[in-house]
Amino acid sequence: MTAVKTTTDAVPAGVPTPPARRRAATGGAPRRRAGALDRALPHLLLAPAVIGILWLIGFPVLSVLFTSFRKLDLGELVRGEIVWTGLDNYAEVLGDSEFWTITLRTVVFTAVVVGVSVLAGLLIALLMKQLHPVVRIVLQIAMLLAWAMPQLAATTVYQWMFDQQFGILNKTLVKIGFESFAGYSWFTTGTSTLSVIGLLIVWQAIPFLAFSLYAGVIGVPKDLYEAAGIDGASPVQTFRAVTWPELKPLLLMVTFLSMLWDFKVFTQVWVFKQGGPDGGSTTLPVLQYLKGISQSHFGVAAAVSVLMVLILGALTFQYVRRLIRSQEGVL
Amino acid sequence: MKGWRGLAAGAAALAVALTACGTSGSGGAGGDKTLTVWLMDGSAPAALTDSLNKEFQESNPGVTVKYEVQKWTGIQEKLTTALTSNNPPDVIELGNTQTPKFAAEGTLLDLSGDVSNLNGDQWLGGLKDSLTWDGKQYGVPFYAANRTVVYRTDMFEAAGIATPPTSRAEWLDAIEKLKAANASNPDFQSVYLPGQSWYVLLSFIWDEGGDVAKSDGGTFTGTLTTPEAKAGLKFYEELVEKSGTKAPKDTDEATPQQMEVFAQGNTAMMIGLPWELAGAVKANPELEAKTAAFPIPSKTAGKTAPVFLGGSNLAIPAGSANADLAKSYLKLLGGKKYQDQLAATGMVPGTSTDTTQLASNPVGEAMAASAPGGKVTPVTPAWAAVEAGQNPLKDLLTSVLTGTPVDDATASANDALTKLLAG
Repeated sequence: MTAVKTTTDAVPAGVPTPPARRRAATGGAPRRRAGALDRALPHLLLAPAVIGILWLIGFPVLSVLFTSFRKLDLGELVRGEIVWTGLDNYAEVLGDSEFWTITLRTVVFTAVVVGVSVLAGLLIALLMKQLHPVVRIVLQIAMLLAWAMPQLAATTVYQWMFDQQFGILNKTLVKIGFESFAGYSWFTTGTSTLSVIGLLIVWQAIPFLAFSLYAGVIGVPKDLYEAAGIDGASPVQTFRAVTWPELKPLLLMVTFLSMLWDFKVFTQVWVFKQGGPDGGSTTLPVLQYLKGISQSHFGVAAAVSVLMVLILGALTFQYVRRLIRSQEGVL
Repeated sequence: MKGWRGLAAGAAALAVALTACGTSGSGGAGGDKTLTVWLMDGSAPAALTDSLNKEFQESNPGVTVKYEVQKWTGIQEKLTTALTSNNPPDVIELGNTQTPKFAAEGTLLDLSGDVSNLNGDQWLGGLKDSLTWDGKQYGVPFYAANRTVVYRTDMFEAAGIATPPTSRAEWLDAIEKLKAANASNPDFQSVYLPGQSWYVLLSFIWDEGGDVAKSDGGTFTGTLTTPEAKAGLKFYEELVEKSGTKAPKDTDEATPQQMEVFAQGNTAMMIGLPWELAGAVKANPELEAKTAAFPIPSKTAGKTAPVFLGGSNLAIPAGSANADLAKSYLKLLGGKKYQDQLAATGMVPGTSTDTTQLASNPVGEAMAASAPGGKVTPVTPAWAAVEAGQNPLKDLLTSVLTGTPVDDATASANDALTKLLAG
């Protein structure tokens, strides 16, 4: 923004002084050179950061892209060989009907988890605004602790809770009268396994979403609510007319971020059942791990990664476009 | 001829390894060196490795042995990263089912030229096959062990079982007697048998005359849909049902560790390895005098079921900077002195045909009885992916035990296995 301003300022500054330029005819050149330097300076200042980002982000991205066109198994990796195979890896991945099942499963899983966690986060954010400060602080501390819990620790706790024999959930259900839950396995199908994993991910995602949205909620100017109150708006009307428009950009943003995070979630899915039973909870990141680390076909795994980025790009295309457009609006 | 070529290849690989890691390799004979040794959890007892490392350091002045014990869980992933790094360990232990993959990909040092120097004439056959790829040897057999039924002698006595069962029928009969004798103990389990103990399933399938896969000119296809495989699976199901085991149906013997369950003292039998019994005894020393083992019974009375010949090989990563030192380490460990100590702990030694020490161990005796009929999983580099990823045999067991019809479950598991074995 400052870069834009200096250049636009510089042009009008030059316009009213043609006499000066004519007077110092020989001095024109250094002046113009100073102008070029002015224009180049912001770019020069940005250069280290741009080079750093390109090196740190661009290089790995390119490396994955190139790897996806190579045959890279354990042997090639150890010997440092480069074997180009063109689109073979992509043909292998895309030709496997299982890939499409897994893709669909991943997309549905992401959509459900994002939907539930954003909705729950929003409701908690709205609730926090209404709560007594003491209760609110207790709630915030509880959420902070849930958020601070390491992923693996949380996953282990969930595994214990849902354990077939010793899990507290089955025991509680039996105690309150649901006898059929004695020794009930929550992991017999892929859907039930993913439901438990989804619950864990939602639980872990809520704190961040609730805090971010709460920041948005308390950022809404109070006088808008007062005005709505004077106009006699009902709570629902107030929400739709005041809170919603103010929260919408933020909500869009956290939904977008949640999609990125939940689409590529691996730790919890793998630790729970290694994508089982019978591959029923295998998502794209798990497939990538199976191809790459388990089977040592690193080229195929890279192809899966590239396809994942493309799918994610297609899914978030609308969001990104809207995000850019809304930012242009701000500028 | 073959030996010379192997030696030349070995020397070339060594030269490459030395030049590639010039900084650590050019330290000269007098310089301080560190030999990194990775052995697995439960392989060699600490007393053995302590004296081994001490002896090695004394005979090689200036060399420090960095000895690290690794866990089996996730070892394949760890080895993959370690072997491709610039500074891999110098001696590693590999499960015999994992070895073909690492050998076929050229990540291990070719030891064909050193076989005779490393007691080559006494190598254990089953393990030698697993480390031979393309006619070259990529490791040294370490030890083999097979599963036996570890049981509580006191509980058998109390239930009036005079001799350990020698057929499946007698085994199921013993289970009924044990259940009746311990009816008052709500925590009692006649057998602890987790749902995904797939090495046990292998035994039952082989006992029926079936197998999990067959080779057809180098490519393997699953054979889980054969009547023999289904019969083995059905016996597993029967054993789970009749024994009333409380073990989870969707985990293997490592979650929870079955030796920990056995150590609690309410379990009469577990199908396990010698080190698992050792672990149970360590947790509950009372068990030492009350445990023995018998071979997994066959459906044919008087015979023993074929068992999975599990075991380990020792290998030197191709990128090791101290390959010569690593070789002399293998020579020392493969010598009779340490192989005898290994046998005394109940392992079949890999580089010594002398197994007299084995009989001194109660499990060792049962193991020695069934070891001759030992079998291995398909020798193909692709098998490693079966174990490291989503093992179709585990899924098969869980789905059958939770009510899926055997025909449906075997069909889908067979497809998954064939696909994995295709690479």
